[in-house]
Amino acid sequence: MTDVAIDKVLVSILGRALRAITDEMSLCMERSSRSPILCEARDFVTGLYDAQGRMLEQTENLPILSFSLGPVCQHIAEKFAGDVYPGDVFFHNDVFSFGNQNNDVAAFKPIFVGETLVGWAACKGHQADIGGAVRGGYNPNATEVWQEALRIPAVKVFERGKLRRDVWDLIFANIRLPIVQEDMRAEIGSSTVGERRLRALIEKLGLARFEAHKQALFDSTRRLMEAEIRSIPSGTYRGEATVYFDGRNPGSRHQIRVTITVDDGRIRFDYSDTDRQTDGFVNGTYTSTASATILTFLQMVDPRIPHNHGMVAPIEIVVPEGTLLNAAYPAATTFGNHLCPPNADAIIRALSPVVPERVTAGWNQLLCSLSTGTDPRRKETYVDILFMGLKGGSGATADCDGYDHIGMIDASGGVLDQDYEMFEQMTPHRLVSHEYLVDSAGPGRHRGGLGVETRYVIGSDDTQLVTFGDGDVEPAFGLCGGGDGTLNFIELRYPDGRAVRPATKDHLRGVPAGTLYVQAAGGGGGYGPPEERPAEVVAGEVRDGRVSVEAARGAYRVVVDPQTFALDRAATDRLRAERP
Amino acid sequence: MTAASSQITYQLGIDVGGTFTDLFLWSSAGEVRTFKSLSTPRDPSVGVLDGLGSIARALELELREFARRVTTIVHGTTVTTNATLTRRGARTALLTTPGVRDALEMRRGIREDQYDNRLQNVEPLVPRYLRLPVRGRLDARGAEVEPLELEDVARAAELLTREGVKAVAICFLNAFANPAHEQAAAAELRCRLPGVFVSVSTDVLPAIRFYDRVSTTALDAYVGPVLRDYLGALTERLAGAGFTGSLLIMQSSGGVALPEATARRPAGTLLSGPAAAPRAAAAYSVPAGHTDCLVVDMGGTSFDASLVRGGQVELRAAGDIARLRIALPMLDIVTIGAGGGSLGRVDAGGLLRMGPESAGADPGPACYGRGGDLPTCTDANLVLGYLDPDFFAGGDLRLHPERARAAIERHVAAPLGLEVERAAVGMYRVINANMAHGVREITVKRGLDPREFPMVVAGGAGALHGSAIADELEIPVVLVPPVASVLCAAGMLLTDQQHDFVRSLLGRLSELEPARIAAVVGELCAHGEELLLGARVPADRIDHQVFLDLRYVKQYHEVTVPVGRADLARGDHGPALAAFHREHDRLYGYELSQEGSPVELINVRVRSVGRSDKPVLPRVAAGGHSADHALRRRRRAYVADRDGFEEVPVYDAHALLAGNVVSGPALLERTDTTIVLGASHQARVDDHGTCVVTRRTA
Repeated sequence: MTDVAIDKVLVSILGRALRAITDEMSLCMERSSRSPILCEARDFVTGLYDAQGRMLEQTENLPILSFSLGPVCQHIAEKFAGDVYPGDVFFHNDVFSFGNQNNDVAAFKPIFVGETLVGWAACKGHQADIGGAVRGGYNPNATEVWQEALRIPAVKVFERGKLRRDVWDLIFANIRLPIVQEDMRAEIGSSTVGERRLRALIEKLGLARFEAHKQALFDSTRRLMEAEIRSIPSGTYRGEATVYFDGRNPGSRHQIRVTITVDDGRIRFDYSDTDRQTDGFVNGTYTSTASATILTFLQMVDPRIPHNHGMVAPIEIVVPEGTLLNAAYPAATTFGNHLCPPNADAIIRALSPVVPERVTAGWNQLLCSLSTGTDPRRKETYVDILFMGLKGGSGATADCDGYDHIGMIDASGGVLDQDYEMFEQMTPHRLVSHEYLVDSAGPGRHRGGLGVETRYVIGSDDTQLVTFGDGDVEPAFGLCGGGDGTLNFIELRYPDGRAVRPATKDHLRGVPAGTLYVQAAGGGGGYGPPEERPAEVVAGEVRDGRVSVEAARGAYRVVVDPQTFALDRAATDRLRAERP
Repeated sequence: MTAASSQITYQLGIDVGGTFTDLFLWSSAGEVRTFKSLSTPRDPSVGVLDGLGSIARALELELREFARRVTTIVHGTTVTTNATLTRRGARTALLTTPGVRDALEMRRGIREDQYDNRLQNVEPLVPRYLRLPVRGRLDARGAEVEPLELEDVARAAELLTREGVKAVAICFLNAFANPAHEQAAAAELRCRLPGVFVSVSTDVLPAIRFYDRVSTTALDAYVGPVLRDYLGALTERLAGAGFTGSLLIMQSSGGVALPEATARRPAGTLLSGPAAAPRAAAAYSVPAGHTDCLVVDMGGTSFDASLVRGGQVELRAAGDIARLRIALPMLDIVTIGAGGGSLGRVDAGGLLRMGPESAGADPGPACYGRGGDLPTCTDANLVLGYLDPDFFAGGDLRLHPERARAAIERHVAAPLGLEVERAAVGMYRVINANMAHGVREITVKRGLDPREFPMVVAGGAGALHGSAIADELEIPVVLVPPVASVLCAAGMLLTDQQHDFVRSLLGRLSELEPARIAAVVGELCAHGEELLLGARVPADRIDHQVFLDLRYVKQYHEVTVPVGRADLARGDHGPALAAFHREHDRLYGYELSQEGSPVELINVRVRSVGRSDKPVLPRVAAGGHSADHALRRRRRAYVADRDGFEEVPVYDAHALLAGNVVSGPALLERTDTTIVLGASHQARVDDHGTCVVTRRTA
């Protein structure tokens, strides 16, 4: 490579320019896709990669999807080496070649300047259906991948700008919903916008200058990450968390065990002691585990660090094949993304003794439901993931309350509620309520984030409901004297009066119209002793209905008048003095 | 008085900032003049009248006679912006459908920075205990499922009275499809709480998406009483002074509207203040050969930065103010707290900080001698020799250098252990860095290189700092228009009256009867025509632009494309469809015309524009290269790029002619600002009197 003088200003502009492109790609997807999972909830990521598949920048609405795009890009670059042309498009979802989840289907587009391959643009979103035994995916009875999904190893669907109709038809002949074709077109469109923008940027800078400044960006980012890691005391730390119920054996438990080694600007996450894989679909893939690890760790370092190859370079992740977090072919793995919350718990438990000021208390674990059926108004099939219902509270930190209704740590507030009115347009259901759940937050000097309660009336007969998630056994844990959050549940109240609580991994058929669906997403864990929370803050939260009069007295030792919500200072002081 | 001069009429642009009220006067004889008066934050209309008074004096007219001759006043205001940013809006409640009161606060569960566990949610404009349920339910198509319970409104009214609520937002689920419940509740509430400002979601934003509506409506209600009181006071004072012309208010979208229309949708003024500057900047940068430019406007309190491309600022369909969603069109402008009034202080860690707190107009900088004793950016500029104490604001305001020095000594120099002059240098450098950061927000953060854009400098304090900011960002060209000090006020007279209408009309384009679309378009155009005629716009100056919001069937979001009325009348959808496919590909990277994917219509939009007479920029007489004729004296001043004080030539900028060149270091004084040139700078005056500042090549 020719000698290029590094312009430090240009390095930072390049970093921002790349992010501006991935943000625009994300907006393309949000605005042109059709499934509410994508255009309302933003369950997708966009990214740019260099010719070798190294991450240049990403927009990570759902980070758990994010950190597999780079490895898949490298896989495609190697598999199709010498056979990549301008105008090509590749699809991929295969979990045994670095995919993270079957429903997360990616489109990759190579970027050329003249004859030279200079990079890749990619978009990956959660598709409304991906074949397999259960509409919408999440077959809790699956024992192997074919019962879950159509496998799409890296395949070329466009070559030199021309659609390969045979390949396209083969794929979509195996997927139930026509909307998926349209949403994959939106992914291609998003990648095309990334291709246009990155090409224009490189043409403006010149390839040699781009490459040199890209390397400078990687190097400075790596140094930044290394400095962050160096600020954690060197040593070896262990943490553990429990996964409850594998979808097949009620009462089953599996342990995630992580050993974290911090040494000289590098950090290693070793999952070798984790339990063996299950015989159901509660299994992770290497990249879903790597994503869970990276996204949890990123919350403990400077949030402004750029997301490129240099950021991940100092991080090493070891996940032996055959474990719960990296199941061997041909295991079922659809639940793998949702092992992120307990995985995060294990990492937080390992590091909280050494960097208590950087961690949060426990986050609410995901519990989710997916409803499908035929909308009687239009006689059309709908698929809805109830994002608004699943978003509980985050854990508090040493100096801040947790975030209310943020949702699982795998998204950390990047995935959004569907708008209520769009929900009633796209499904036949009628929303009854969606409100903060009183007393759901773990009490503490800083309380956890609040959870929510969601109620809706099911609007189609013969509705199919799939549940997947956790958080019905162990609540989000408190830290340093803070209390736990509340548990999750889903309950169906049938028109005939029966009330049913599905398991956390379940598949219900034939749910009739008129059934009331009730879901509680719990709050996050508190941080520090609740008696240290200022009494007037607690009284204000009682007035606002976030904390009950009883909980104020019981957990916070604060006395509030139930009529006027006035703080009884004297009674509070007395009550608080009773405790050592 | 001659017959001709007695017939001269005036148009006036008035920009009320936190510190100064800027006025731009254009006479029917073609004369352009600029004025400044101190703002009066407690009731900004007082400052407006003060300004009118000083213009009348300058024109040697009685105030009533002058006011009578003003045909149009275009006015931009920051009252709603400031109320929102400082959380000093009205005490506000929300009436909404049971079960969804928290949507306002939840903001769909977003945390803008996913990896920052210390980022807290935004305090909602309405506390939870004032978000009250009203029973009644519509389904997704607007049909009534449960009747409206007006007794809930009555009960709420009692509580709101007890709580001293001054504004109420009403937003019901699915009201976009049927406003009947909202309107009935509003009528009941207005009847029970006369004087309370009521904002109804289907009036503010009659479109689907509950969160967008509830957030925008809450903002609307929150700033409503503030704007209503202000516009009421202003129109009263203007009428009292004898003004009988049209008053037009600047909108966030870059257009203007009558006060009555503005008060009905207060949220549309959240970016009123800075919205006119980019247009004026383009008016000066385009003749100088630049269709793209950065615009920085530094007044007394705030620093606004925007980016003009192709002669225009990007209009966003929705945006945020302090992380609060507002789903109304607004120009893309970044505002930070930095201005002449920004206070300097040394923080607990020993670091020198400037702003965002401002001394404002009252008490103002220490050197004003109006009771302020804290050091501001203006005090530093005075110590640095950039301001003439006897000739500030055209000599209307005498500055007190000794007070500036005392304030800087006490609050900055002593704590830092510095000489007063070095402390002033530090203040100057810190605020320049702050403003450079604001410019980076609209360029670098969006992946644009500021070095590729000339920077148009505006505001009373802009020219003092422009060249130094440009040096920091390596921006090669700085343009200082002759009206720089009041650029925003000037831009207001370059703005057309504009009314935007939207009406939902759903259906596949191929199946909709062309006559139905044409009928809706006709109705909206008639509405626009009526409003504009009512605002005294002649019929031959009214235009209507028609747009369709189109999408592929089952998409969630629409693409807005312009259509010709003639095509619509013929029932020819071909051009609209072609435009849609093309725009979809441009925006989203693909289009589906080959696949025959059906296209549906969502909304019909009409923009009715009343074209105003716009001032023609006066030209400056041509001169030679030399500017010696304008050299007045020398003054000791700080030269930033040599980091020292020197005797610097001072030029009378009003005496400069087109083609004159001044090499730095130098100060070019105008009555309302000073252009500071460093040692490496050179300024050339162009045909319109714009100073084009570049770095001298060796």
